[in-house]
Parts: sequence; structure tokens; C-alpha cells
Amino acid sequence: MNTSPPSRRSVLRWGAGAAAALTGAPALTACGQTVGAARTTRQEPTRPGQKVRLVFWTWVPMQKTVDLWNRTHPDIHVELQNIPANVQGGYQKMHASLTAGNPPDLAQVEYHELPGFMLVNGLTDLSAYGADELRDSYVPWQWNQGVFGGRVRTIPQASGPMGLFYRKDLFEKWGIETPATWAEFEQAARVVKARGGGARLCTFAPNQPPWFAAMCWQRGARWIRTQGDTWVVAMDDDFSREVADYWAKMVRDDLVFIGPDMSSAWYRQVQTGQIAAWVGPQWGDALLRGNAPGTKGKWRVAPLPQWTRGENASANWGGSSTAVLQGSRHPREALQFAHWVNTDPKAVDLNISVGYGWPAATGIFRGSALDKPDPFFGGQRYNDVFTASDRAIDTSWKWSPTTDADFAQLGDAFGAAMAGDGTLASSLADAQKSTVDNLLAKGLKARSA
Amino acid sequence: MSTAISRTKNRTEKPTPGGRRSARPDRAAWGFVLPFVALFLFTFVLPLGYAVYQSLLKPVRSGSLGLGPATVGFAGLDNYSLALQQSAFLESFARVLLFGIVQIPVMLLLATALALALDTLSHRWAGVLRAAYFLPYGVPGVIASILWGFLYVPGVSPIVDLLGRIGLAPDFLGYDSVLWSIANIVIWEFAGYNMLVIVAQLKAIPQELHEAARIDGASAWQTALRIKLPLARPALVLTGVFSIIGTLQLFAEPLVIKPLTSTVTSSYTPNLSAYNEAFANNNIYLAAAESVILALVASVLSFGFLSLVNRRKGRDAR
Repeated sequence: MNTSPPSRRSVLRWGAGAAAALTGAPALTACGQTVGAARTTRQEPTRPGQKVRLVFWTWVPMQKTVDLWNRTHPDIHVELQNIPANVQGGYQKMHASLTAGNPPDLAQVEYHELPGFMLVNGLTDLSAYGADELRDSYVPWQWNQGVFGGRVRTIPQASGPMGLFYRKDLFEKWGIETPATWAEFEQAARVVKARGGGARLCTFAPNQPPWFAAMCWQRGARWIRTQGDTWVVAMDDDFSREVADYWAKMVRDDLVFIGPDMSSAWYRQVQTGQIAAWVGPQWGDALLRGNAPGTKGKWRVAPLPQWTRGENASANWGGSSTAVLQGSRHPREALQFAHWVNTDPKAVDLNISVGYGWPAATGIFRGSALDKPDPFFGGQRYNDVFTASDRAIDTSWKWSPTTDADFAQLGDAFGAAMAGDGTLASSLADAQKSTVDNLLAKGLKARSA
Repeated sequence: MSTAISRTKNRTEKPTPGGRRSARPDRAAWGFVLPFVALFLFTFVLPLGYAVYQSLLKPVRSGSLGLGPATVGFAGLDNYSLALQQSAFLESFARVLLFGIVQIPVMLLLATALALALDTLSHRWAGVLRAAYFLPYGVPGVIASILWGFLYVPGVSPIVDLLGRIGLAPDFLGYDSVLWSIANIVIWEFAGYNMLVIVAQLKAIPQELHEAARIDGASAWQTALRIKLPLARPALVLTGVFSIIGTLQLFAEPLVIKPLTSTVTSSYTPNLSAYNEAFANNNIYLAAAESVILALVASVLSFGFLSLVNRRKGRDAR
């Protein structure tokens, strides 16, 4: 033994011991601690004349709308804070703030994300503050996206009914009729391959499971059901497999490009006319307009191709709500703002101009900024197509509380399938299994259909 | 009692080379060590301990469909067994190991070759070139990946365009090629840094050894192989360990490349997998377990590598 100063090794050893001690002690207190939101919503009384301050997180640049609110509502000041979009950092931030107990009063949360927020008790029960009375102001199915166990948990903002964006000029040049069915869509793709000089009808994007979900949604699939307290997953059903086989054939016959959409390579294809169509959502108009201004006037919008001629089935891609996060001290005022921002005609017009989506408020479309001929689409009143599409959506579709992870895994499997490792259909089978695993890992009851 | 005796014995028999030392160095030594220990505790041991603690927990659900209030319960090793059952997580380890087996030797060979070349060059050029080679290290990994990403994407990249014109159609972002495109970014970023570490070691070689080699008629090649390389060994070991750890922790490059191609999965590397569990799936407990597994593998590999090279060194010395 000697008395030299503690060596590096012994300090390390001591550190490891301390770590073990630290991990041992709090474990005893862990059980019983709640998961998720550290603070629950409570209405704080206000003195007469007191100005209430609310914080609102969103990735849609809605400053003008918020300015309008602040001008017209001197008692309630809303501070807009821009956050990164959805899974690119926005939800991470929200979850962290819920766990830390300092969330914003209001936040933008997508429909498919709401069950996940319920899992962490992240949404204020708005029924307790009179939200049920507002029901009639909104499209029923969008309203119901935010209702859990009969309680209103969020105010719907906008959705994304699907349609077919296509290049009229290129279709005419190559002698293609606007496809009304998926069979005609495939024929159109063959013509583009033959006459297009290297162009393709569209791109199959393995990175975009939400798009693929919409395709299956239109066909009639229901990926998520509930039975008692159990989540039932049916991604690998006949309908979805039919959709998978359809796109697998398009890929196999080299009728489509393969690659991520909304990427620089994809925008380049859009700009240069390398792709002549996009099966996309209503909010895609802003993407085309913003990223391919040179194609102005050449685009048109047609209804989504049908599986059976004469049918009228549609689907939704995307959609957001304005939620009052758990922990707010002014839920009444926050609810008032959430309702105003999504139904006031002036507010909705300002929102539309910054790419906010298809309004969830009923009767707001007529006379709004959406209801007019658009020079980018050659003067077409293209939103009439989306109005019809919106009405044709089967609204019994449900989302899993693990959607982000499920989609990530499905996208991975699609990517592997494109490289020859598996097929689109086998990806669905794998995704069904991993979705059940994701739900079980969250401590939920789940099974395959 | 016996301790005291052995202590005195030790001191009389083995005086430290530095000469006389204080009988009670402890307080002063602790004073010097304290800042390190405090930082080490708060930035390393505590987070590590917290991660281990979290990895042993799980949520306990209640209410209709499990959407009611949930509490935290003790999970035992459930999260670890769950992580080890995920084939994508296990594949991510296989992937970074393959990456390391190819990328680390290539990078260190390049760094060593550059270092040896710079060491023989005249002083003026050596400085300029050294700075030039080191420059990529000053570019943050995320920025480097964005830059290289643009060079890989067809339709945007001038390189793909140029190669296409001469009849080649390289797919830098393909299923089999994207790992090596990422390796290329990492080599570009870190070869210069590793070179600098080796150069510093070469500079520390006493001039007499070079002189002796010259007098003995050694050529530049022989000097490099027989004198410089063996004496640069500590630097090579150090860069080797850093590279092993860095490879296992691969994160920024695949994360940035991911949106450009569907071939980079959400659990492409162990770190990416833990990140996605924590922030996409919002399952911090499983993410903690994955992180702890990654830390264990990294320490086994780095200490394994160290003991391997140390054993060999011992054998060489004998």
C-alpha cells in the first residue's frame, strides 16, 4: 500500500461505485411516479384588467394571424414561437416541455400524433372548459380526431384531402387523357415511359409511409382498430396488399422513379418536367408553387384515380390541430384563441396564405382565399376538386399512439424492398408486427388482426 | 498496523525518482483533482447513472385503451431484452463494425502516409499543407454531411453529372454504396486531424536518432519504416482508440444523409436507433437501455484494442 494521490483508475472505480449508488437509491421512489406531463392544467383566476399572456408553438409562420388577434383582443396577448416542424424537432420540444412542467399554452399537433400525446397525458381536457359547444363549427370527422373517451382534447385546424396534380401541357404533348382509374393511371405511366424521353409519370417515395397510408385508406383499409382495451393492427390486410402490389408492379416495370419526395432531387424532377404528376394532398399546392415557380400555369388538379370506375373514394394525408397542452394556467383563454384562429374568416384567410392546409371549420371555404381561380393552375378553381375529395373521405380511419415509430419502420422496410430485400407487401407484414411490438413496448395491449 | 509498516518499508526501499516528497500530499492533491472530479461527476457519472436508472423503468398504463394516466414502474432488464430482440438494433452494430473494419484502417493509413510525407517535406510547404489537410476537421460534421450530400444527389451533383457524361452512372446513395459514401465523409473530416496527432508524435522523435540513421546509411524509406513508424506507435494507438469510439457513435452523418435516400434507415447506427426511440417513439426507457448497451460495447472494444496492442508491445519489448 502507498499513499500516492488517487490514480486515474481508482477515481474511475470510485465513479462507477457512485454511479451504482445513485442508480440504486432513486429506484425505490420511482414506482408510483406519473409518466409524461409533470404539471396539469388549472385555470388561474385573473384580476379585472389583468392582461393574460399565452404562448403558442407552431411551425406554420402565422405571425400575421397572431398580430390580428393581439390587435382585436387587448386582454389576451398571444406570443407566437416558431418551432421546428413535427418530428424534425417540434414534438421532441413539446414532449420535453411537458415532462419538465413548463409547456406552452398552445401548440400545433398533427392528427396522427394526438394518440401519442394522450399516452403522456399531454392534452388538456377541453370539455371541462366548454369545448363541446363549439362542435358544430367544425367538419365532424376532423372534430372527432381530437375526441378521446368522449372528451374534447384539441381543436381541429386543417386536413389534407388527396388529389392528382398533373402537368396539362405534358399530358397533351404525349396524348394522355387524365386518368380516372388506377388502371388508366398505369397506362398513362406506360405512355410517359415510351414517349417522355426519360421522363416518368411520377415518383414512388419509399420514405413517405403517410402517403402510402393514404393510398390504403382510399382502397378501404383500416390499419388501426380498437377492441375493448386492445389496439388491433391490420396493416397487412387484402386492401393494403393490393395497393402494395400495384406500386410494386409500377416499380418493377420501371414506370416510376424511386426516391424520397420533397427532397432536392424530387423538386428538381418537378422543376424540369421529369415527372408529370403527383398524387398529393391539398396543401401540396404551396409546395409546387414555392419550389417550381417556373412551371406556373402548366399544372391542373384532377380527382384521385379510383379503384373501380365511377366510385368516389378519397383519403387524407396530414392535418393538424391547435392543442392546449397539459399544464396551461389559462385554458379558457387558450381555448378561446384556438377556436378563433381556426374559424374567424379573416384569420383563416391569413392562415391559408402561409400554407396551413384545408380548413377544418365548416362553411368557411366559400368566399375564402381558396375559393378562386388560380393562375398557377392555369386559372382552374382547383380547390373545387379538393372540396369534393374532402367529402369523399371515409372518416373512420384511426391512428396508433406509436405512429411515428410505425412509419419510420415501414419506411425502412420500403427502402430495403426497393433495394431487392423483400417486397412492398412483405414490408406491410413486417410493419404490422413491429407496430404491435411498438405498442407493447409502450405498455399497451395490442395484437395483430 | 501492518499497513503502516508496509508503508514505511515501501518508502525506504523505493524512493520516488523525483526525490523527497511530502508525507501528506493528499490535501493538496485533492485540491488539484477536485475540479476534474466535480466535472467528471456532474457531466459524466451522473448522466451515466441516470441513463442506467432510466433503462430499468417502464410505463404502467391504465384507463380505456391505455390512454389514461400512466405511472412509472420497475422493469428489471425488460428494456435490455427488448433492445436485444430488435433485429434492426443488432444489425446497426453489425453495420458500424463493418464500417469500422474498412474505414478506420483506410483513414489511419492515409493519415500516417500524409504525416510521414509532411515530416520529410521542407518546412515552408509542410506548414501550408498541414493546415490544408487539417482544415476539414474545422467543418462541423453536420455541415460536412450537407456539403457531401449535395455532391451525392443525382440531378444536383456536378460529380454525378460529370461521371454520367462519360458513361458511368454511379449511385452514391444506393443500398450497398451509401455506407461507403458516409465512410468517405468521415475520412474527409478526420484524416487530417489524425494526421496532426501523428505529426506531433513524429516531431517529438529526438534528432539524434535521425542523425544516427543517416550516418548508418539509412534511406528515407528505411528511416520512415524503422525509426519513425515504431516511435509513432503511441499516436497510432491513440488515434485507433478514438476512431473505434467515433465509429460506434456514428450519428450526424447518417442523420443528415437520411432525407436524401431511403437506404439509410431510422436505426442505421446504434446511436440513431437510440435517438429514434427517445424522440420519435418517445420511449426514453428503451432508448436509455440501447445507450447503455452501446456504451458497454464501445468500452469493451476500446479496452480490448488497448490490451491487444499493449500485450503485443510487451512481447516486442522482450
